[in-house]
Amino acid sequence: MTMRRGVGLAAFDNHQRTAQQYSDLGSTILQTHISELTDQLLTFQAALKKFAQSHADEIRSDPVFRSEFVKMCSAIGVDPLASSSANKKGSFWAELLGSDVNDFFFELAVRIIEICRRTRDVNGGLMLVEDVKARINSVPGRPPVSQEDIVRAVNTLAPLGHGFGIVRLANKDFIRSVPQELSRDQAVAIEATQALGYISVPILRDNLAWETARCIAVLDDLVASGLVWVDEQARPKEYWTPSWIRQ
Amino acid sequence: MSTLPSPTSTSSRSTSFPFPSIYSFPPFFTRQPNSQTWTSQLSLWNSLILAYCRYNRIWRIDLNTAIEWDLFNNRDINRSLKLETSKEVLDSMVKKGDAEWVSGSGSHVSKNTSAIIYWRRPEEWANIIADWIDSTGQKNTILTLYEIAEGDLSLSQDFRGIDPTILRKALDVLIRRGQAQIMKSADGEEAGVKFFGSQ
Repeated sequence: MTMRRGVGLAAFDNHQRTAQQYSDLGSTILQTHISELTDQLLTFQAALKKFAQSHADEIRSDPVFRSEFVKMCSAIGVDPLASSSANKKGSFWAELLGSDVNDFFFELAVRIIEICRRTRDVNGGLMLVEDVKARINSVPGRPPVSQEDIVRAVNTLAPLGHGFGIVRLANKDFIRSVPQELSRDQAVAIEATQALGYISVPILRDNLAWETARCIAVLDDLVASGLVWVDEQARPKEYWTPSWIRQ
Repeated sequence: MSTLPSPTSTSSRSTSFPFPSIYSFPPFFTRQPNSQTWTSQLSLWNSLILAYCRYNRIWRIDLNTAIEWDLFNNRDINRSLKLETSKEVLDSMVKKGDAEWVSGSGSHVSKNTSAIIYWRRPEEWANIIADWIDSTGQKNTILTLYEIAEGDLSLSQDFRGIDPTILRKALDVLIRRGQAQIMKSADGEEAGVKFFGSQ
């Protein structure tokens, strides 16, 4: 009798009670999971810290190892460089991993800034990562850095708002160390310089199908920004990328 | 067409000057319109000229003739620096103290084309000469300028064949420091320099 009546209100009651039971069970499961997770996380933190500390030397001196370590951190959602940006205080991961990874990239960033500052008049604030790397590695007594290290270090500088960033042109990485970003035309024109080392009005016109006025405007732009050097002894005038000057 | 400088000293190099990579960069020979680029270009020319003069032991440059040298002409890429630009370069070197126009005043009216090149500053020459006096035991001797520059004892020295004007400036430094004194003969003519050593 009750069963049949259970289709109506009683069924509803049943449903509510069952739902409640399920909810309680769910909370319990969740609680259990949370405390399991917390345990696992604590174990994991300890292991990661130990790993970073015992491999500090390798992280510092071996670019390949360093790269793999950073990739591993990224894969598990840890940013080992988090504290090398503006919010250094209280960085959980900085404490966990120890200061070695941070210090390495911080020091590298400082050296990159210095090199860019010194060469700004020559290249207008745009320099091949490869050339920065050659300069850094030419100083004896320090372990070598890789292109990846440099790109990472520059990317930590980006949020600081001093105009540092990586620009990829013609399949090569450049460091931009001035706030002005390249316009589309400028970027395309600079990419074009990477073929022969220079461009000219006819080269742009013939290869990009730009009108002469547009070519002249971009070239004047590049000269004004100090990004190219002019060769007036060439007919027609040639505009050279300083990245072609061998170190 | 480019030439090598005529020898100005007794020593000559068996290999030619190793030019830096900027020398092969065609725009290096064009006066850059962008002022920051020009600043860096000036600095590069300054270093190049000093290194070139040091290597070839060139003490002074007369731009009218030097403009033909390989220093200012890269035959491989067929690029040459204009005379006006070389004057601008020399002007900036003079301002920095790395060179001095021969008649003293600037080249604004394009009158001056000759400059002494200080690939070592007079103070440096003074130190080198004073050390040489000490190590050769020539303290308290009197030497003529010719003997200093061309004598047997200076054969292997860096100041061998030094330009008389530069030598004089170096000696002036030593005189100011009290390490040397001009000696005059009975008729008031300058006879030589006496050194008191570098203490």
